[in-house]
Amino acid sequence: MDDQNLPDDETLVRQTQDGDTRAFDLLWQKYSPRIYALIYNMTANHDDANDLLLEIFAKAYRSINGFRGKSSFYTWIHAIAVNMTINFVKKRGRRFQMSLDDLDANVQNDKEFIDLTAPNTPIREVDLAELQQRLNEAMMKLSVEHRAVVTMFDIQGMPHAEIAKILGIPEATVRSRLFYAHRQLQNYLEEFRKK
Amino acid sequence: MMLDEQQLQKLLQLKRFEQPPPGYFDRALNEFHRRQREELLRRSAFQIWFERFASGVWSFRVPTYAYGAAFAAFVAAATIIGSGAWAPFTQTVETASDLPGVASTPGVREVAGNKLALSGNLDWSKFYHSPASPRVVPTLRPSQTALPRYVLDGRPVSYEASFSF
Repeated sequence: MDDQNLPDDETLVRQTQDGDTRAFDLLWQKYSPRIYALIYNMTANHDDANDLLLEIFAKAYRSINGFRGKSSFYTWIHAIAVNMTINFVKKRGRRFQMSLDDLDANVQNDKEFIDLTAPNTPIREVDLAELQQRLNEAMMKLSVEHRAVVTMFDIQGMPHAEIAKILGIPEATVRSRLFYAHRQLQNYLEEFRKK
Repeated sequence: MMLDEQQLQKLLQLKRFEQPPPGYFDRALNEFHRRQREELLRRSAFQIWFERFASGVWSFRVPTYAYGAAFAAFVAAATIIGSGAWAPFTQTVETASDLPGVASTPGVREVAGNKLALSGNLDWSKFYHSPASPRVVPTLRPSQTALPRYVLDGRPVSYEASFSF
């Protein structure tokens, strides 16, 4: 079923609470790619992202009877995902490995990708794969809280207000974390460009 | 030249194209189902029930009007008890005054009048040997100061504190 044809979240949550496991599968279908991308960009590791994705949905399934709809399901499951991933990364420490550095093979034909890598952008100046690896490394040098904000805002395109709700912090804090993280990333990438 | 804000954002947007292999999410869903089944087999029904119950309890929110209702109940109870409309000790004192050999004692009449007052004029030997109601007798000795610590069958046996600091 296409995402646009899926019933709304409220209906799916109610059906899941009534014991309909297929409704939860539809929630999985709708949210697992976004949650996966969030986890992956915070952990930079496919295996960890895979394990965490399963754990996060298992926790959501166990707790869904307690979901009262005070926030949207989208915010609720993102909050679970961010908190579990932050805990995981803090426990794991700084050990990480890149395992998903390769771009999707079809991406070279993607219009958005072509625009992003147009000749007048600095991205063309260096080898793309190398830059991507460097970007991942730079991301991993950020604290996990800053990485979460950068992932949600810059990569996933969420608005500040939504990020603030997910993290349970004021919007001003989201903006200041973003500002600080951008400065750090700019510095790391600048060092790379000088090499 | 340093990357400006816009260039950095474009670079970060490239990470949207980092995708898992095709079919990954379907396989992951199958794995999710497998783990769920395994978990159900591993855990007892009580554990599953308890987890769901605990999840419901933690998410339970006390309605705001409940605080008001609790306060109103407290005020009503305090008013009834404070006004003396309900005195739980009356019955006990009256029962004691009905005992043979007690009603005529001046100390008991004083007790009946003041509810909780004590008197040193009671003839305690009559209390101790009365077979009629060994449990109704007051358990304070005439000294009026020390409370008995241990009472067996209505008779104080020790005035020592149960422990000391």
